[in-house]
Amino acid sequence: MNPPSAENVYMPKIAVLDRVVDEITEVKTFYWHFDDPAEQAAFKKFRPGQFAQVSLFGTGEFPASLPPSPTEAETFFTIRTVGSCTAALHTLKPGDKFGIRGPYGNGFSMEDYYGKNLVFVAGGIGLIPLRSCIIYALAHRDKYKKIQIYYGAKSPKDLMYLQNLREWEKGAGVEFNLTVDRADAGWKGHVGVVGSLFKKPGVQVPVENTVAFVCGPPVMFRFVIKDLQALGFQDSQIVSTLERYMKCGVGKCGHCCIGVAYVCVDGPVFTYEQIQKLGEDI
Amino acid sequence: MKARIVHRDDVLKIVDLLRRQGYEVVAPFFGRGRDTRFDNVTDENRDQIQIHLPNPYHPPKRFVMLQIERLLRIERNDGLIQIEPTYREPKRAIFGIRSCDIAGIWHLDRFFLGREFRDIYYEKRRKNLFLVNVVCSDPERDIGSECFCVCADTGPAARDHFDLQLMDLHDGEFMVVAGSPAGEAMFADPIFRKGADAHVAKRRAVLETARKSFKPSTTSWFSAAIRYVSAGKVAEKTWEEIGNRCLECGGCTYVCPACTCFTVSDRSVGPNEVERVRMWDACALGGFTRMAGGHNPRKAVHDRRNRRFFRKLSHYFIQRELSMACVGCGRCAAVCHGDVGMPSVVEMIRREAAEMETHEPAQR
Repeated sequence: MNPPSAENVYMPKIAVLDRVVDEITEVKTFYWHFDDPAEQAAFKKFRPGQFAQVSLFGTGEFPASLPPSPTEAETFFTIRTVGSCTAALHTLKPGDKFGIRGPYGNGFSMEDYYGKNLVFVAGGIGLIPLRSCIIYALAHRDKYKKIQIYYGAKSPKDLMYLQNLREWEKGAGVEFNLTVDRADAGWKGHVGVVGSLFKKPGVQVPVENTVAFVCGPPVMFRFVIKDLQALGFQDSQIVSTLERYMKCGVGKCGHCCIGVAYVCVDGPVFTYEQIQKLGEDI
Repeated sequence: MKARIVHRDDVLKIVDLLRRQGYEVVAPFFGRGRDTRFDNVTDENRDQIQIHLPNPYHPPKRFVMLQIERLLRIERNDGLIQIEPTYREPKRAIFGIRSCDIAGIWHLDRFFLGREFRDIYYEKRRKNLFLVNVVCSDPERDIGSECFCVCADTGPAARDHFDLQLMDLHDGEFMVVAGSPAGEAMFADPIFRKGADAHVAKRRAVLETARKSFKPSTTSWFSAAIRYVSAGKVAEKTWEEIGNRCLECGGCTYVCPACTCFTVSDRSVGPNEVERVRMWDACALGGFTRMAGGHNPRKAVHDRRNRRFFRKLSHYFIQRELSMACVGCGRCAAVCHGDVGMPSVVEMIRREAAEMETHEPAQR
């Protein structure tokens, strides 16, 4: 006798791909919905910073950040093709079905940050998980003090979520700073690594009563942490989300364990203070 | 816990009773050479079941945590996807499981059934499992040179988590202790007789002799190693030394009764059908943490060795599961070609850390 599938944590739910949008080279956004409306409603209770296990039947499963905010109507993933599963997802067409389990992980404690300044620092596709928090914070604008976004990409053609960037640039309650490592002919904005934005004339990063969200490639992460510390940020004020090879997402398979933490259940969101206490290099 | 006495000639009748109740019984047998193994009991091999023999290298863990297990069967038909979970949950009894392996299964219980997510595949199989523990009481045949359950506090006689426990009193009789209602229900059969005070005294004496039969090994430093590992006092060079000796075969994890890691893979089993299987994985292997795209946060061998021993020895994890992921069976020591099984590692950690502690004040 089989039990109701809700008890089986390894059981994916069927999702339908609605449409695919190109973001940058090798990166696409996949809009989807669950076949079962009840599943969709249950899933929509996710928190910014959580993730889901995406199933491509016959290829495998991979963990994916959730870029949408729970305050938005649509559910989607933004995925770079790096391995066999992500490549399989990239071949899907609207109407195709695949599997999703989740949401998993702790997520960012956005409610705990009510009354604080929020500083978002993203590098490259590190904007994917932070997008969720940014949209969430802007949807609850009155709950937070200053909201600042610092986003850096390799070049102008590596900028993602262009529509969102334009909205943030217009500056409705948000200070938005953009940079690229290498400009092209048409680029009129700032050039330099993302940390260089902190020193840009006119930029004032609030330190007191502030939480800094940092997400990006390892090199960017290391330098931004140093920059923030130089500005006076404590390690407990810096939060990030870690990624690891994962198979189960529910704390059983053992692959994502870093020191004392299972990234899938104890994370993926950690403060920099916690990251240093894990007992292993990230 | 209730106890009864069984005559030596009647011990294997417990196997018969279980089989009559519909259990698939696995029990230890001699293989070729000095090899021993757990195998299914049949009418043909029933008389060859061994009570006293070296504990098999391949632990009975595989009967609750299958080495390869199908999780889901996925069928695709005209854009329809049907996912069926497949559960293998035979009514099974393990006869002759040693106390260390009882502790191993208890650890798996804590790990797979504890905390926020339960593993339903494990749970279903575990529910149908009946455990007949045999206490290692024969110094010659039961207790190996690598055994250190006395240091891991799991043996020679398990205190609980079995259904029945057999102890050879070495005078033609066995004492049988019931550890569960299912075990106690077995006592209804006439082979189980009431004991006397003399049996209890005998049990105590046998256990005392057994405890003294373990080889004096380095593992008495277990607690010190836990302290050093938990406090992060093990020097990088110690891990490097341990890593240098590791041949990255993964053997220690495959013979470990308390290792839990697995990987998941999809495979095609028909034109429109795939199955999702999981199989044991080992943190000793280089690809264990390698992400798509090639980034591997744990590249060096000694990082991976560090991982395994940190997972087993750190106070944090012992508290997290309320059970320890090393049960003192000594299998890793027996199979390791580089001599970095648990006992050696414990000794290396203890020696190096103690040296550092001694020298630290002088350096200041």
